[in-house]
Amino acid sequence: MDGWRSHDTVLQRCVHKLDIGQSNDRQTVDISLLWLWLLLTCRAAILKAVQLFVVFFFFIFVYHRIRELCQQFPHGITDQVIQNDMPHLEPQQRAAAINKLLSLGQLDLLRNSSGLLYRMKDAQSASKMKGSDNQEKLVYQIIEDAGNKGIWSRDIRFKSNLPLTEINKILKNLESKKLIKAVKSVAASKKKVYMLYNLQPDRSVTGGAWYSDQDFESEFVEVLNQQCFKFLQTKADMSRDSKQSPMVQRNSSFATSHEVWKYICELGISKVDLSMDDIETILNTLIYDGKVEMTVIAAKEGTVGSVDGQMKLYRGVNPVIQPTGLVKTPCGLCPVFDDCHEGGEISPSNCIYMTEWLDF
Amino acid sequence: MTAQEVRLCGLLLREHFGEVVEKVGTHLLRSGAQNLRTIIHETGLPLDLVKKSLCVLVQHGACNFRSGRKGPGCPTEYQASGDRILRILRYPRYIYTAKTLYGDTGELIIEELLQRGHMTMSSTVKTVADRLTQNMEGQGRSMDYSEVTSAFSKLVETQFLQRCPPMGGARNTKDSGSPPTPSTPATPGTPASTALLTPESFPDCYKVPHITLIGRGKRRHSSDDGEDQKSAKKAKMDPETHGDEGIYWQVNFERFHLHFRDQAVISAVANKLDQTCSEIVRTMLRMSEVTTSPSATCTKPLSANEIFRSLPASYNILRPILDQYLTLLVDDPMEFVGKAGESGGGMFVVNLHRALANLARATLESAVQERFGSRSARIFRLLLRKRHLEQKQVEDFAMIPAKEAKDMLYTLLSQNLVQLQEIPKTPDYAPSRTFYLYTVNQLPTARMLLQNCYKTVANLIERRLFETKESKRLLEKSQRIEAILASLQVSGAEPEQLTEVEEMITAPEKQQLESLRLHINKLDSAENQVDETMFLLEAYVSSTATSTA
Repeated sequence: MDGWRSHDTVLQRCVHKLDIGQSNDRQTVDISLLWLWLLLTCRAAILKAVQLFVVFFFFIFVYHRIRELCQQFPHGITDQVIQNDMPHLEPQQRAAAINKLLSLGQLDLLRNSSGLLYRMKDAQSASKMKGSDNQEKLVYQIIEDAGNKGIWSRDIRFKSNLPLTEINKILKNLESKKLIKAVKSVAASKKKVYMLYNLQPDRSVTGGAWYSDQDFESEFVEVLNQQCFKFLQTKADMSRDSKQSPMVQRNSSFATSHEVWKYICELGISKVDLSMDDIETILNTLIYDGKVEMTVIAAKEGTVGSVDGQMKLYRGVNPVIQPTGLVKTPCGLCPVFDDCHEGGEISPSNCIYMTEWLDF
Repeated sequence: MTAQEVRLCGLLLREHFGEVVEKVGTHLLRSGAQNLRTIIHETGLPLDLVKKSLCVLVQHGACNFRSGRKGPGCPTEYQASGDRILRILRYPRYIYTAKTLYGDTGELIIEELLQRGHMTMSSTVKTVADRLTQNMEGQGRSMDYSEVTSAFSKLVETQFLQRCPPMGGARNTKDSGSPPTPSTPATPGTPASTALLTPESFPDCYKVPHITLIGRGKRRHSSDDGEDQKSAKKAKMDPETHGDEGIYWQVNFERFHLHFRDQAVISAVANKLDQTCSEIVRTMLRMSEVTTSPSATCTKPLSANEIFRSLPASYNILRPILDQYLTLLVDDPMEFVGKAGESGGGMFVVNLHRALANLARATLESAVQERFGSRSARIFRLLLRKRHLEQKQVEDFAMIPAKEAKDMLYTLLSQNLVQLQEIPKTPDYAPSRTFYLYTVNQLPTARMLLQNCYKTVANLIERRLFETKESKRLLEKSQRIEAILASLQVSGAEPEQLTEVEEMITAPEKQQLESLRLHINKLDSAENQVDETMFLLEAYVSSTATSTA
């Protein structure tokens, strides 16, 4: 912050020098007789007026041009860009224009590896920040930079070097102005992250469709899991009953993730809007359940449900083996299997699980 | 041999050969190769009992002997082979397989050979024919020796039976129970009589000797006339040689195991894809049965044309359909069938080892699923698929709430089904700067599950012994009554008398006997089921051992 301010004053000093130089330049303007007369009569006053006029219009022009450039390059522009765009402009004039914009609070000055960067400030935020002090501006800036991922108050403290109490005060203040909001993160329920008021929190913060109020909705996931499987299963069954050639049978048992997504949407079991990615996550759990297989095929660009020219196909499959023999015995499921010894407290002879199983 | 295996071996020996053999057998398993004197000294059994039990073990191939390690002249050492003893558990399955493949005759041949360890062909044929004849009593027919001989030859042809390795006369002295002669002449294959005999080392391994055996099976107690005839024949035949003296036969367990493995692959294909696919795989396996070596990772390549020609005509599969099925099989992620080339309409192989690995994986998954629930199985499969994952990633991929996922993951970890790998960013292993990656190692996990299987079977056997011991009195009583009933029936007693004897077993006792019978059956079938799991895991473990070696 201090750095910027010192920079400001330097630029302002430059502008002073520039003003004087300009007035000398403009004396060669072609003027009519009347103007000459007027000039002669009240020379000093008119000269001043013309000077002001020219300077004013010049600023308007440069200002607009820089704004256009900023819009063109939303990430910011360097000095070089302005210079290339307006080669007739002298460095001092450029500096003056930028200085004015900075002092009006419409431009941000950023520093990166290649030098200084200028970026347009949000008109809204510029107006919102009216009446705030520099500390508040700084905190706001940090929160703004964190984007929709949000930032934790302790990280704000590290970045701003302000005491925690001060930061808490500022955060409260900004919150009451509805400039920022606090969002509870799903990763750690006690951790609050701050972000700009108008932002939609990132999935990593809210947990996406699977969370409501920081709680993972496992029932919802299970229901979706079952429904997806049911859909793929019926599809596989239908293709098996179709009595077509084996290749056709296999191919018709596949469903794209888009088809599954549409099916789930039309079922209307979900109150929240699920994206294709959400459905694919669910389908992946089915793969890990060993009930579904996935293949990726190349698809024509623009086909429904294709991503980057690829399409994910899913199909329900049968298990390879029946439950293995070991788990059909009580020992295969026994929680005290390792403690079981003949002649011990737990032994095959007095095993209650075995007795129950035998009498079943 | 792990403790679990030794325990199971002991139980199996006790069941089949009695307590003394169990004692000698487990002692040998625990302490490795030993000579007769040490065995007697350490087990504290009398000399003749130890000798007899050693004979029993040698007869069944469960024990082999070799001249002492310290050079010629030192006493013969005995070593038990645990693997062979564990085969006892699989006897029912061998017999059942022989029955399905070769009918009653095959069943009885295998049964006799399993029960007696090894026999000559002529005596096997005679015993089996006699037994079959006895079973046919009602129909008044008898079994011809030549029929049994041909069944026997078929079994040898398909390598289910093999010759015992020549022993240089040492075996004969063993069999008669005389003290072992020190320093048996070293013949090839003597140190491992139970090991698979490769045809290279024994050219005659699968050669059927020509035996001269004409006649029919006889009934033992059919009539006095038969008895006379039998003894007369016996007297006449005994000095007669059948031309196969000294050639003993044993069951080729490895061949049976290959058959079981093929069956497992076929049924897996049938489950996963469909019946027709499994028939194609069956055809492929049958075609390569002889050409593929037992430890090969995959079968010899077969062209689609060959497969098409070898398919049984009854399936009625057209050539283009066959091509489609083969493509399906190759595309399947389980990779049972692989493509080896394009010539001859495409060359195809059955990936035996990969199929075993996949089946073993499915077994592990099913064990986890049944024991810890389907969500834990989801985590387990996820780890198998993605190799290394952090806890957070597991939660996200499996879509399980953090708390539950943590619980399941830690349970699996404590049961050694999942392993934890630490990767520190700094050398101090500070927890905050360390990655904790969860992973599943299939081979060690399969080994562990195999040990669990051994323990489970041992538990089941113990329970069965316990159950029979509990109702020993009742069993004896019912046996006695049955004997009385049988003798009464023979002597033609009055029906009232019979019912009177029958009523000696009261209703509750009858009920108890019935439930005991149910329990024993259940335990028996459970043993066989666990044995199937054991077989798959053993095959997988040994296949990875050969492929990495």
